[in-house]
Amino acid sequence: MSQDSQTIKTAHQIVMQKGEMYVGWSTKEDVRKRGGSGGLVTSMLAAALEKKLVDAVVVLKKMNEFEAVPIITSDVNEVLNSAGSLHSVPSNFAKLIANRNLKVALPAKGCDVRGIIEQGKRNAINLDNTFIVGLNCGGSMHPVVTREMLEVMYKIKPEDVHGEEIEKGKLIFETKDGKEHAITIDELEEKGYGRRESCRYCTIKIPNNADIACGNWGVTGDLAGKATFVEITSEKGAKLLQNAIDAGYIQVQKPDEKGVAARSKIKGVMEGLGKKWKDKVFVPMDNRLEYFRKELENCIDCGACKAVCPTCSCGDVSKCTEFHFRGDAYRMSMYHLVRFLHLADSCIGCGQCADVCPVDIPLTRLYRRFANPVQEQLKYEPGMDMRKPPFFEAKLEV
Amino acid sequence: MSSEAAAAPKTNGWEPKIVAFCCNWCSYGGADSAGMGRFQQPASARIIRVMCSGRIDPLHVFNAFLEGADAVLVTGCHIGDCHYVNGNDKTKIKYKFLENVVRELGLEKERLQLNWISASEGEKFANFIRDVTEQIKKIGPSPLKPEGVV
Ligand SMILES: Cc1cc2nc3c(=O)[nH]c(=O)nc-3n(C[C@H](O)[C@H](O)[C@H](O)COP(=O)(O)OP(=O)(O)OC[C@H]3O[C@@H](n4cnc5c(N)ncnc54)[C@H](O)[C@@H]3O)c2cc1C
Ligand code: SF4
Ligand code: SF4
Ligand code: SF4
Ligand code: FES
Repeated sequence: MSQDSQTIKTAHQIVMQKGEMYVGWSTKEDVRKRGGSGGLVTSMLAAALEKKLVDAVVVLKKMNEFEAVPIITSDVNEVLNSAGSLHSVPSNFAKLIANRNLKVALPAKGCDVRGIIEQGKRNAINLDNTFIVGLNCGGSMHPVVTREMLEVMYKIKPEDVHGEEIEKGKLIFETKDGKEHAITIDELEEKGYGRRESCRYCTIKIPNNADIACGNWGVTGDLAGKATFVEITSEKGAKLLQNAIDAGYIQVQKPDEKGVAARSKIKGVMEGLGKKWKDKVFVPMDNRLEYFRKELENCIDCGACKAVCPTCSCGDVSKCTEFHFRGDAYRMSMYHLVRFLHLADSCIGCGQCADVCPVDIPLTRLYRRFANPVQEQLKYEPGMDMRKPPFFEAKLEV
Repeated sequence: MSSEAAAAPKTNGWEPKIVAFCCNWCSYGGADSAGMGRFQQPASARIIRVMCSGRIDPLHVFNAFLEGADAVLVTGCHIGDCHYVNGNDKTKIKYKFLENVVRELGLEKERLQLNWISASEGEKFANFIRDVTEQIKKIGPSPLKPEGVV
């Protein structure tokens, strides 16, 4: 079926419901072209704004191939212009919309969704007014590492890059001269490039904790790469999709069985790979105290790691920040000790802390050392549902 | 403090510093009866009285370690006996998290211990301090102890 065909079921013919799956695309050709896989997400966000389902939308505003800034906008055109997946922009939108009391719709990778839900539990975001458009996520890259990787591994100047895509396990860069440069992600990661470490062991590949989960996995045949596979995961998600269809922004059809099966298979494979990575990164270790002391030795107490942490909803002055000093001859940072404890049940492993640290401390790796055993033992997955963080319980069978 | 008044057995050399957090209504009473009952105990314990074990913030425990404690003890009323109804249920949760951090950090498990001790259990309190002191003497000073602190 052609993407411009008018015979597709549109408004009012189908009533969207939780649990249903569709394959769809934007009705606007330019959005479809720019979109990661059909521009459905962009068009759905734009329709929500246009039809006043929400007052604002969060999107990434591109600065170049490797940098983009998140913006909160009420301009439909700005939303339509934002289409496309940026794999080297490891942003997190949770804190951006916290404490603003917005009626908002936004795209969200697994870790964005988890951050938003944790902020919701801490009353910093009203989840009833937040429409979360989940993006499947195989991982994102650090922009600085990406630039270096281009020079070292691909032997191309970052400025010459015109586009980027991931296909069949390869990361492909297109240069302005029209040439394609491909290297397998496995090889890149062996050499220390590729996805951020936290993404390698992240196991939230299809964000069923969002209102609707969108991605390119499961789109088959002629539509592959040109349409978005969506799974409705809540009433809000159904409303979003229905609204976009009614507004004439998108078209959808039922996915074929092959696609549904392929999507669930690749999800399983990716989760398995994530678990393998986890075992590889978190090998049992002796002399841990020395390890943590060494890693934290260069901390300059700038507080950036706390400021970006999407599950933390404390203000600028909080328990941990009271200890940003090195006056006492303490053998361990009190600031980090407090955070190790507070994040033990709530760290979502988003990698934000490691990304921003000015002295390159691999913080996520340190924080997960404390979080892994607690979350495993308490069977608590932060950001995946509305369960209260165990630390806040009045009583816990432990 | 009564527990310190009790005669300490003079062992050769180093005496560990043990910080014991005790709640006003039970375990502090236990420490008191230990003294009144003249149970033999070492001079290693520094008792810090809090109204309820639920008041013990993990921060207090970290602070004790960073200031040079060789072991930290969290004590309170038996479960069900807390004078603020469920303060010690919350202590249990905080302790679980605390224990995880201290263990993952690589400190020996002897250095952080939890015990419920009633006001009448003077002997239990004394034995607890004595046992912990023995354990710590075996493993030596805490690696978190700042330079220059004994
Ligand atoms: C880092 C990343 C990894 C992905 N990995 C996979 C995968 O392995 N498998 C899969 O099926 N799908 C993956 N996706 C989703 C896929 O690339 C498409 O985004 C999805 O299919 C929706 O396509 P679309 O054309 O409808 O979206 P578009 O219309 O292009 O809209 C994309 C929206 O995402 C926003 N966005 C772009 N980059 C980011 C970012 N880094 N963080 C947050 N928001 C962003 C844009 O602002 C825009 O609103 C990934 C997306 C990202 C951002
Ligand atoms: S942490 Fe997970 S959800 Fe977040 S960018 Fe990495 S792979 Fe995607
Ligand atoms: S501690 Fe780091 S990895 Fe964990 S939630 Fe906070 S920013 Fe993300
Ligand atoms: S971002 Fe790095 S330097 Fe700054 S407080 Fe965190 S660990 Fe220390
Ligand atoms: S009063 Fe003793 S534990 Fe609460």
